[in-house]
Amino acid sequence: MHRAAHTALYDWSNILGPAMIRQCLNCRVPPQLSSRAYSVVPTPCDSEEKEMLDRMLRVDHAGEYGANRIYAGQMAVLGRTSTGPLIQEMWDQEKLHLSKFNEILAENRVRPTALLPLWNIAGFLLGASSALLGKEGAMACTVAVEESISEHYNSQIRALMERDPERYTELLQVIKEFRDDELEHHDTGLEHDAEKIPGYWLIKNAIQLGCKAAIYVSQRV
Amino acid sequence: MGNVLRDLRPLVAAPAATKPQCSSLSRSFHRATLRLQDDSKSDKPPSSSSTTYHEHYQAHSAEQDTAAAAQEDSTSDPAADQASRPNTSYQDQGGEQGEEYETEEQLQARILTAALEFVPQHGWSMEAIAIGAETLGLSSASTGMFYNGAGDLVLHFLAQCNSQLTDILAEQHNQVQLGQAERKKTADFLRDAVETRLRMLIPYIESWPQAMSILLLPHNIPDSLKHLSTLVDDIWYYAGDRSTDMNWYTKRAALTGIYNTTELVMLQDSSPDFQDTWNFLDNRIQDVVNMATTTKQVECLHQIALRRNKGVKR
Repeated sequence: MHRAAHTALYDWSNILGPAMIRQCLNCRVPPQLSSRAYSVVPTPCDSEEKEMLDRMLRVDHAGEYGANRIYAGQMAVLGRTSTGPLIQEMWDQEKLHLSKFNEILAENRVRPTALLPLWNIAGFLLGASSALLGKEGAMACTVAVEESISEHYNSQIRALMERDPERYTELLQVIKEFRDDELEHHDTGLEHDAEKIPGYWLIKNAIQLGCKAAIYVSQRV
Repeated sequence: MGNVLRDLRPLVAAPAATKPQCSSLSRSFHRATLRLQDDSKSDKPPSSSSTTYHEHYQAHSAEQDTAAAAQEDSTSDPAADQASRPNTSYQDQGGEQGEEYETEEQLQARILTAALEFVPQHGWSMEAIAIGAETLGLSSASTGMFYNGAGDLVLHFLAQCNSQLTDILAEQHNQVQLGQAERKKTADFLRDAVETRLRMLIPYIESWPQAMSILLLPHNIPDSLKHLSTLVDDIWYYAGDRSTDMNWYTKRAALTGIYNTTELVMLQDSSPDFQDTWNFLDNRIQDVVNMATTTKQVECLHQIALRRNKGVKR
């Protein structure tokens, strides 16, 4: 069902593309900056906007990459248990998110964060160690991470809406859809006994603190 | 700053309204004092220069009481103005028709471009900039605009070469997209791009060591690194690199190494048409390609070994 929603979204963004091209012709930007006519991200008007968009996309990409690795770590431990299919389903959605961001980064020539190897290892370790605490541990980790990511997406949506909702329509749609997916994961985690783990409050806050630090650093490095 | 200039306009436009025969003189003064206000104004679609001039003048004088008189002036004067302009320094060379006003950056760029001609003789120095300014009909005191002196000249040259290279690569890219040219292999593409870029140094090769030492000055290092990273990013982008992981960094680091070492070799190369340099470049690129191939082979072997182990365990 999600895949159908995804394809519908991409078709819609293709139709809206030409309108956006007309809008962006107002900006004096060399045509080689965007390789495709249809793009989720509008061609930036000046270097300040380019920097802002670069930061947002870089940290979003890093976030999805990290989430991917967290689920991989959880699957490595809990893959053969009864929670396996559930985690696999959430992991598949994260893979879709990551591939979408890979596409956007490549199109807009955004530099990926240099800390990707760090997020690779840290994410896998976080996923694996939370899964070692059992199903509840894995779910608690999912709840914490998804809550951080949703909050982060919300603040990005607010920032874009403040600047110019019309200009960033397609990008806002993508971020909103991903945020809704992450909230769904969050709710799934809660449904599957995340709160039953002893020390839930401690684990959740520790993980969220780590996520905030990761987001801060990935925007800059 | 825009407000200060807008205040100057009533002073300049008033005489234009009252004395039509002196309006061309005051309009030159008007042009000399005004700068481009908004980018949006310059984004008008190209049209004949007289109508755009008309629109410009209307936009500026809209708030004034002499608007009606000013309109009469502007309709009658563009033709006379074009004939009476003493030199072409106010005419835009960037391609937009009827751009009457030049920004400071554009003026600096023009002076520096003119100064490049005198670099082989005078080196990368304020002297070359001064002579360049004089060839444009400006006083040599306009070198006061350049706080960084020779550094400005070298950085301008870097930026110019890089944008020339980007134009060439974009043109090649278009030709491939249109099917008029074959897509080159990555190694050949990189080789050609680096060679094209380094050939732009040939006219200045005698004085290039001086330019490099200027670029190594602490206050110039951030800018020169920025130009270098933009150059390498552009080359890889047109070579087709769309990676979004650590490959982004390793590829660019490799190309930076290749470019810098080849540049150094070129400085002390005395072979005809720098053939030794291009051979060196070929070998370095081949090294990188070999390294990449070896990495892939090792990875494949690793995957095979992993699969074998999994099979054995089961």
